[in-house]
Amino acid sequence: MFLVSNTGFLNAHLLPGGCLKRESHLSNGFKGSVVAWLSLADSRGIFINRDGNVPVEKLRQREMKWLDMFENWEKWMSKRFKKVKERCRKGIPPSLRSRAWQYLCGSKFLMDHNTGRYEEYLRQKGDPRWIEDIKKDLHRQFPLHEMFQARGGTGTHAYTIHNPHEGYCQAQGPIAAVLLMHMPAEQAFWCLVSICEKYLPGYYSPGLEAVQLDGDVLFGLLKRSSPSIYKHLKKQRVEPMLYMTEWFMCIFSRTLPWTSVLRVWDMFFCEGVKVLFRIAIVIVRIGLPDSSVLAQCPSMYETIDKLRHIPSHLLEEGFLSTESLRLNITERDMEKEHQKQVQKRKAEREAKSKGPKKTKNKIKS
Amino acid sequence: MAAGPYNYSYIFKYIIIGDMGVGKSCLLHQFTEKKFMADCPHTIGVEFGTRIIEVSGQKIKLQIWDTAGQERFRAVTRSYYRGAAGALMVYDITRRSTYNHLSSWLTDARNLTNPNTVIFLIGNKSDLEAQRDVTYEEAKQFADENECSAKTGDNVEDAFLDTAKKIYQNIQDGSLDLNAAESGVQHKPATPRNPLNTDQTPSKEGCAC
Repeated sequence: MFLVSNTGFLNAHLLPGGCLKRESHLSNGFKGSVVAWLSLADSRGIFINRDGNVPVEKLRQREMKWLDMFENWEKWMSKRFKKVKERCRKGIPPSLRSRAWQYLCGSKFLMDHNTGRYEEYLRQKGDPRWIEDIKKDLHRQFPLHEMFQARGGTGTHAYTIHNPHEGYCQAQGPIAAVLLMHMPAEQAFWCLVSICEKYLPGYYSPGLEAVQLDGDVLFGLLKRSSPSIYKHLKKQRVEPMLYMTEWFMCIFSRTLPWTSVLRVWDMFFCEGVKVLFRIAIVIVRIGLPDSSVLAQCPSMYETIDKLRHIPSHLLEEGFLSTESLRLNITERDMEKEHQKQVQKRKAEREAKSKGPKKTKNKIKS
Repeated sequence: MAAGPYNYSYIFKYIIIGDMGVGKSCLLHQFTEKKFMADCPHTIGVEFGTRIIEVSGQKIKLQIWDTAGQERFRAVTRSYYRGAAGALMVYDITRRSTYNHLSSWLTDARNLTNPNTVIFLIGNKSDLEAQRDVTYEEAKQFADENECSAKTGDNVEDAFLDTAKKIYQNIQDGSLDLNAAESGVQHKPATPRNPLNTDQTPSKEGCAC
């Protein structure tokens, strides 16, 4: 027994297939779960959703619960959010995932209140800088299917017009890909808007300030949750940006096995960036589990290698989400650490701006 | 795989820089895996690769940092230049804009590495001769350069090896001081230690053999 993938939309478009024909790419060391997931298409091009080991009966029950929530969404979110969170943590039923994500992130609301906006964006030419960058990335981001190429281009294109200051960031490509596998282009676009503006503001802006800040927050949380790993990383000067950039910017879509990506995204859409910190800490702990492994890493290269090449069977979705919820890190800890790092950066900036002024004065006098 | 902890005498750190889409990751993949990867996923942040090569009978481990080319990642990737012994600066011979940006990459490479860092210019995609947008002579004037193809593997080896030879030469003639911080070169004892004696930690090697 298997469930055909969530959106009838995807099946309809992908049935003529072609995915399997190009599977030679897959064995070619191509990176990313997105591709791994495409390989789940069966011989008829129908996507088989092997979503963990949830028995069908249970899945049906969960679907009913979710359908009920959709009926009174506002009420559930305002009055029984805890329950919604719990259900997201258990995993959203694949057949309703696309809808749930759009409800959770508010993109449905955005789309309903911006009728025609997306088409309007598509009609605009856009900044040639971004358009050229997007074009260059299309064949590598969406290598497997023409439809993805065409639609992936339009989604990110529209975003550069929606937010011309931010423009196109390469890390948005994998995100758009995951969204496009679940929903039509316009819906995916508004989801992307929500992620970039509400969930991870500043992540994709020039300079990547927000990601760097979160890297420092992650490091601070590691100090609290895993002191020996923290000491090791600090000693070898393994800066967070060396391993967490892709994890956070692509919301683990290039890091985890596909079923784990979906579970992480289920939680992320409900709880936001905190989920990324929890998962990241778990991955670091899986990669560097004990002192004997740390001893195998005499320099930063071995350490980074351990963090970046974790066997996928260790990143299985059930284990990952359970472990991430068992961490001795509370939401309050995260908020405190965030505040601490914001203050630290502010102080550093002030010290820097004071520095040159002094020398200026000296020159004057 | 490895016979012992130190089956090489030196480690050189390389960094690969250049505009997005010029084929930096493909070059790295071609060099470390000896295979061409079509549709290389773009690099978000930094990737790493290693390979052990031989120069003048010495085994050298190359530790190669492959950086994201998109402009907005530059604020981050700039911090990865520190301590590089070699910098491979890549452009795409079929896209002039990637060549025009070289001076800005070169400025970064000069400012953020040490004076002895060997900088090598690489014109990639030489298999696309028909679409050539930058002549060899023009680029030759810009620097001592090497045209190569990550696709066919032409000259890719040479680009990495010649850089290593130059670094090794700098070590031999004393212009590169191994003891200097951030020289980008680490010296390891050439002979594996007694594998049973695992307690032994690698001592900082100061003397030249």
